[in-house]
Amino acid sequence: MKNAAVSGRTRGSFSLSGRRATSVVALLPFVVFLAIFAVYPLYELVRLSFQETEVLDGEFFSAFNGLDNFKKIPNDPLAVNSIKVTLLFSTLCVILTLVAGTAGAMMVNSSRIFKSAARNIFVWPAVVAPVVVSVMWLLILDPTMGLVNKILESLGREPQIWLNSKAGAFISVVVVDVWHWTPVVFLFIYAGLNGINQEILEAGRVDGANEGQLIRRIILPILLPTIAVIAVLRTIMSIKAFDEMYLLTKGGPEGATSLISLHIREIFVDVLDFGYASALSLCIVAILGLIVGIAYSLRRKNRSR
Amino acid sequence: MTMEKRVQKSKVNVTLELAIFVTIVITLIPIIWIAILAFLPNKSIIGTSFDFSFWLGNFRTLADPGQNFLRQIFNSLTITFGTVILTLVIGSGSGYSLSKLKPPKWATTPVFILASFLPIVPPITLVPGIYVTLTNLNLLGSVTGLVLVNTVFNLPFAILMIKSYFDQIPDELREAAIVDGASERRVFFSVLLPLAKPGLGAVAIYVAIMAWNEFLMGLIMTTGGGAAPLTVGIASLVQDYEITFGQMSASGFVAAIPIIILTAVASRQIVSGLTAGAVKS
Repeated sequence: MKNAAVSGRTRGSFSLSGRRATSVVALLPFVVFLAIFAVYPLYELVRLSFQETEVLDGEFFSAFNGLDNFKKIPNDPLAVNSIKVTLLFSTLCVILTLVAGTAGAMMVNSSRIFKSAARNIFVWPAVVAPVVVSVMWLLILDPTMGLVNKILESLGREPQIWLNSKAGAFISVVVVDVWHWTPVVFLFIYAGLNGINQEILEAGRVDGANEGQLIRRIILPILLPTIAVIAVLRTIMSIKAFDEMYLLTKGGPEGATSLISLHIREIFVDVLDFGYASALSLCIVAILGLIVGIAYSLRRKNRSR
Repeated sequence: MTMEKRVQKSKVNVTLELAIFVTIVITLIPIIWIAILAFLPNKSIIGTSFDFSFWLGNFRTLADPGQNFLRQIFNSLTITFGTVILTLVIGSGSGYSLSKLKPPKWATTPVFILASFLPIVPPITLVPGIYVTLTNLNLLGSVTGLVLVNTVFNLPFAILMIKSYFDQIPDELREAAIVDGASERRVFFSVLLPLAKPGLGAVAIYVAIMAWNEFLMGLIMTTGGGAAPLTVGIASLVQDYEITFGQMSASGFVAAIPIIILTAVASRQIVSGLTAGAVKS
């Protein structure tokens, strides 16, 4: 700090304002980019959500209709269904990936033989394109040619039709999501585990604690802030989920896997009810903002304590 | 610490190793299965029994000039490189400014608000606005348009990551160079940017994966076919009336394997990229 002041004084005020100007100019491209491609679209979203927009012969006609679009949401059984599906999907996926990722990280951390292989391979699913992930799982779950049915049939069992049944399709997309995103949880927890001071664990061992007690009394409490951050991250990710379901189930059968993003896409692109889709979008953005806001303030409160 | 404990610690836990091995297999099954099917003719794929006969026909069909596949790979590569370069250029300037140039608060506040808010917004909700913007810029359906859109979605993460990399470089270095008479530009390009290279590399790999894998914007902002990125091409194979599973597997294989190999080789950079990226978003 002192150095900066000295150099500022010796080089005169001109250099200081030069730096100030440079600092603002350097931020400008970022702000302009986000203004055009994020702030403006959000503004469009707000505007559209208070309007009734119709498309006639490729021309858009809009008229202000107050809160009508928002009032439609509770009366739209498809939207209500999507919200329910999304809630159930998020809850299951967040819990399952957290448990699997934490368990995996702990296992790999105390492994001797497979440590380096597992550390590498367990990351792979997360880097595969969601579109390819759904292709991969289609090749496994497809009722006519999928791997599961080939195995079942070669064992003389009845083939499954999971993707065609409501519960089966829902469980399938949860499994796919867990396979795809557990690696992210794994990475964080593994990094967190490696950051734990070994002496603390040694002290615990010397005091006669067994491995289970070490995990419950020492390791998990230390990891708790990390786990909390990932829980929020995974919640956002699962509410944003789109690609995998879009291809694997198209939201079906009978809306059983119709996540909110899929439903919004349908109203925007197929139904072309821009006002209503925007209103629904805005609600989802607001809910996500609220979740992050609460998480952020909780974290601040914890830190200041 | 007693001898006994040390011996006990180095002993291999068979149950644990077995459990890890099984998890590795489960992790790999979908990847191995698509790799096998990519090299099988359709009739062995559809057949109910296991029939493994090595065949390159799926790739040959995809590479046929009448198909859009090669064109789509080219599009995806262009989008990926364009996005990485644009993100790094904008991100390193802005990240450097945030870390070292102490910009006034009125300039940083909107940056931090935007950078933390955009990652939580589901991309589908921004579709109408982005569609209008690209139409107005006359970039709808173009690779350039998708480069811009991908850059926007990756910038928030990139800028915060790059800032944290510059934060690790001591301020004294910059000040010493300034005192020695170097211009701001010179300090940035010749002193600090080279030091941040490993960090920029991690960001580049992460952004490349994200851009290569992107689907939704490619789906809606292009008309498909030869204008689309590879992910959209793969999706159209899945939705064909007559699904050709062999070609579908082969194209998925082509999209996934380079990224997986990259991950296996550059695992450390990607790990730091993924963990930092996720924390920031």
